[in-house]
Amino acid sequence: MQILLSELERDALTEIVNIGVSRAAASLRRLIGAEVLLSVPSAEVISRQAAAAMIADREQEPLVAVRQDFAGPFSGRALLILPAANGASLVRAVLGDSVDDAEALALQDETLTETGNLVLNNCLGTMANMLRESLTLSLPDLDHGAPAALFASGMRPEEEVAGVVLFLYINFSIRNHDIRGYIAMLMDMPSLAMLQQLIASFISSVMDDTAGSP
Amino acid sequence: MAPTLLIVDDSKLARIVAAKAVAALQPEWRRVEAGSAAEALARLAEGGVDVALVDYNMPERNGLALAAEMRALYPDMPVALLTANVQDEIIAQARALKLAFVPKPATEEGLRGFLAAAALRWRQGAA
Amino acid sequence: MENTALPFTTDPATGPLAASLGDRIGPWMAAFEAAGVALAVLDGAKPELPLLGCTAAFTARGGPGALERLRQAGPAAAREAQGRAFRAADTPPLFLAPGPSEGLLLCTLPEGEGQEDRRLRAQLALSGSAAWEWEIATGRIAGDTQFAAWHGLPLAGAALDPSGFFACIHPQDRMRIRLGVGGLLRGAELFSKEYRLLGPDGTVRWVQARTRCWPDAQGQPARLIGTLTDITEQKRTEERLRIAQSAGGIGTFEHVPGFGTAAVSGTFCALLGLRPVANLPVPLVNSLVAEGDPSPFDRAPPAAPGPAETRAFRIRRADDGTPRWLMRRGEYLRDADTSELRFSGVLYDVTATQEAEARLRTLNEALESRVAERTRELDRVWRVSRDLFFVGDAEGRCVSANPAWQAALGLPAAGLPGTPLGALVQEEDRDMLEAALAQLRHGGADVAVELRMRHADGTSRAFSWACIPDEAGFVAAGRDVTRRNELEERLRQSQKMEAVGQLTGGLAHDFNNLLAGIGGSLELMQLRLAGGQVAALPRHVELAQGAVQRAAALTHRLLAFARRQTLDAQPTAVNVLVEGMLELVQRSIGPHIRIETRFEPALWLTLCDQNQLENALLNLCLNARDAMAGGGLLRITTANTALGVAAAQALDLPPADYVRLTVADTGSGMDAATLAKVFEPFFTTKPLGGGTGLGLSMVYGFARQSGGQVRIDSVPGEGTAVHLYLPRHGEAAPQAPPAAAAGLPPARPGRRGTLLLVDDEPSLRAVLREALDYAGYTVLEAEDGAGGLALLRSAGPVDLLLADVGLPGGMNGRQLADAARQEQPGLKVLLITGYADAATLGADRAEAQMEILAKPFRLAEFLRRVERLLP
Repeated sequence: MQILLSELERDALTEIVNIGVSRAAASLRRLIGAEVLLSVPSAEVISRQAAAAMIADREQEPLVAVRQDFAGPFSGRALLILPAANGASLVRAVLGDSVDDAEALALQDETLTETGNLVLNNCLGTMANMLRESLTLSLPDLDHGAPAALFASGMRPEEEVAGVVLFLYINFSIRNHDIRGYIAMLMDMPSLAMLQQLIASFISSVMDDTAGSP
Repeated sequence: MAPTLLIVDDSKLARIVAAKAVAALQPEWRRVEAGSAAEALARLAEGGVDVALVDYNMPERNGLALAAEMRALYPDMPVALLTANVQDEIIAQARALKLAFVPKPATEEGLRGFLAAAALRWRQGAA
Repeated sequence: MENTALPFTTDPATGPLAASLGDRIGPWMAAFEAAGVALAVLDGAKPELPLLGCTAAFTARGGPGALERLRQAGPAAAREAQGRAFRAADTPPLFLAPGPSEGLLLCTLPEGEGQEDRRLRAQLALSGSAAWEWEIATGRIAGDTQFAAWHGLPLAGAALDPSGFFACIHPQDRMRIRLGVGGLLRGAELFSKEYRLLGPDGTVRWVQARTRCWPDAQGQPARLIGTLTDITEQKRTEERLRIAQSAGGIGTFEHVPGFGTAAVSGTFCALLGLRPVANLPVPLVNSLVAEGDPSPFDRAPPAAPGPAETRAFRIRRADDGTPRWLMRRGEYLRDADTSELRFSGVLYDVTATQEAEARLRTLNEALESRVAERTRELDRVWRVSRDLFFVGDAEGRCVSANPAWQAALGLPAAGLPGTPLGALVQEEDRDMLEAALAQLRHGGADVAVELRMRHADGTSRAFSWACIPDEAGFVAAGRDVTRRNELEERLRQSQKMEAVGQLTGGLAHDFNNLLAGIGGSLELMQLRLAGGQVAALPRHVELAQGAVQRAAALTHRLLAFARRQTLDAQPTAVNVLVEGMLELVQRSIGPHIRIETRFEPALWLTLCDQNQLENALLNLCLNARDAMAGGGLLRITTANTALGVAAAQALDLPPADYVRLTVADTGSGMDAATLAKVFEPFFTTKPLGGGTGLGLSMVYGFARQSGGQVRIDSVPGEGTAVHLYLPRHGEAAPQAPPAAAAGLPPARPGRRGTLLLVDDEPSLRAVLREALDYAGYTVLEAEDGAGGLALLRSAGPVDLLLADVGLPGGMNGRQLADAARQEQPGLKVLLITGYADAATLGADRAEAQMEILAKPFRLAEFLRRVERLLP
């Protein structure tokens, strides 16, 4: 990471991700009505497999993920990952008592997808705004499986084999609903290079903004 | 008499959430739903729709495209773009189409301004 | 002209500028006014520095005058004075802020030096929070007094520009903060960051800045409003904590119950065998906790903040699966962000301690079960044993007793607690018990004592007790030795009988001789009488009497030997007694042994049972005979000896005067080994059938009972001397012992008293009556108890009742005596006893003051006894 991004650039990236995720958390809070606790974003440049392993290490249960790919000056994949068991809790949290169990079950996948949509759109949208760029976001897809599969799903073989990725992830958990998961972003190296440029401009314009004299 | 509000979103959940917020603010309003742009246009053609909430992120045709078409048909209908995608560009496009912009999830707070303005317009129209 | 909407005076000439200024600086001026700050705001653009407004304090303290002086001094002077104080004569110094800034020039009147400033500074130092604003359009950043103090501004409201603001931030944090602000300006809603603030005096303080961005009407960022909180102390603590953590293997963590993740430290992860991360999913941590053990996380928070339960639990490390014991401690704090209760605590490894505790517990349990096992064993022994167990307190009262008491003595064990042991013991043995208990109390490690216990049915059983002291008293175990004692006794008896048999053999022989002698004498007397030769009669009578005496003595020996007899201690003149035995002794030991006697002429009296002394003497002589198979010399000596302390101790006697009787022989003697065992019952050197071995033990027993001692000197091949020590009896003895006097005391005519004589043997009765008559007594006779009683009633009081114990007719002599005493209380009684009369006599005859005279007796003895009773 240090090779590609200077410490300052890393700080800037963390800042941007943080802002995006905070916005997402805020909208999640509005949806569910419960406190959302977020960790500090973690950013590493590692292989896709290693990235998957980091999640797999910590999770023994089956996972479910809402996946949204993004494209623009940089592209990549964003995921909202939750243990599959949390799905039902999330639906209940969102809908409250307004639907019965049968309908809640029927709406489970929908709810997960919509929540993912909310979180990822907010996050990515905010980040794009920060960087003064626009990104095209795909429609969200719901996936079940192990992290490795989640990270690689739908990708073309040559993409899969690609070396390292920038792996960002944030832990979140929701008060009183025992709902928790990760927001993860994977970007390939060309995207990372582009991102670096954008970050650099961000930094310099921030310097200007904050330099002071009117 | 009360206005009729159309909620267009491919996510049933999102429709439920939006409907809940609308119901809280304007309980007497009638609510109808459509799950895609095509469905929405079909419903609109049937007539009687006074206000619309349109989700941006939909397959086949996204909300902005639908809204553009709706504007052409109903230039004065209060329409709001409902989305979590808060990118400036999208907001700007919405503004250009004279759409209100309501971030998702739809809450009473977020809809209050739009629904109040729509109610006013409708009363004026009715009067 | 005053604009009442504004709290300060304005110069109306400035018009619109003033109005807009009012908008801008109104709130600030209000604050200054309230704080009593002397402040004036001038239009810096114009050379004549028109006043835009000032506070009351400025006016009050002569500010306008100073201002006028400044104006008079001219623009150059004013420019010169910026950032400094302008001093003029007779007006207070005027401090001009550097500037102008946006056309405004500020002047103040410093309040005074030193004191006020210091006070203000002190106040500022105490508060921990500052408030501030950043107007984006103008880039103007200003805040309250605390903010001003921290950023080196002279007062509240004084402004910084962004570069000035960032300049106060520590270089290492500066970039981060700029990025954060940049984010805010680009649409982020809030920022919450910690950074180091460089104070004007060079101090570094850690602050936390929380800032929100407020948009304008168009939704563009217009103003940032925030707070700064000094967290220096907290940071220091965190640093110390971090150091302590890694040094002490203590991992910290925070968790809000209900949340699925917990914020953790690197050490926390390390304790669980996980890679270091900033937070962990709660289920992951719980999956490492051993089944059944509690989780370090709580499902629900407590009602209020405060310490949380310290909790230990076992885990299997994620990396290598090894089991460890961990402990969690911490407290619940109110979270500022969410106002929820957040657990903040530590985790540390206590495996070593827990393992030690577990080992100790196992050990204790093993110990407990061993103790329980042992207790069960002891319990069994307690219940099943036939020996008596008695646990007593310090006073000898029963604390507990085992079931054997029921079987052995008919006393239910349940009823015993509280009973003193003494109450369960025969009266006579209570003193011995007391002595034993006293010994225990005074530190005796264990005490053995034989006591007779009272059976519930009134009988007595002998128990051999072993007692050991206990904390609170003593524990005693008693074995029933009644049977053993009986057997021993019977054995002794049978041995005695055997001895008696032996003895009687010899004695029977002698008896025959004596009877022959008596018979012969009588025959001769008959002849002489028939022939009218009276002169020779006395001699025959004497011979016959002598033989009778000897025969009596022999019978006496025999009977004394065979029976059990309580000591009848009488003052005794040993010489006389020995002399009386000589003939018997000579007969017993045979002609081949010569007897020599040497008597101490003024021998002291001793108090002892004469029968037993005679026994003892005989025994010793018989032993001497046996030692001199081929003949020899038997020497009997008596002596007075006073034993001093040393000599007495050597003999295990109290220092006092003693009579010593010695029987010495020239026989085979005994070696040291034999000597050592010589007093043991049944120990004998004689061949089988040659003796019972009881003799010396009986001699020893007699000597000790009498308060004396036996000592033996022996040289193998030369002979043995047996010394019998008997304590001197206090009463002075008459030189001439009366016992040996031959013949009856002289007749004394005159009535000396009335006796009631009861004996069923007519010839004896006649003889006794004759003797009594001769002695001058009146005698009433009866041949049985009933007759005697009738006589007593009819004839009136008598002086002495003389009765044979063995009377026929259902009332024996004892019973007669008791009955007679009913008629005549205080009646003197002399009972004549045969050898079998011990039981009939009753154990209490001594208390009842009934004298006894054992058959056979010499008439002289008889009369002497009567005389003693009826002087």
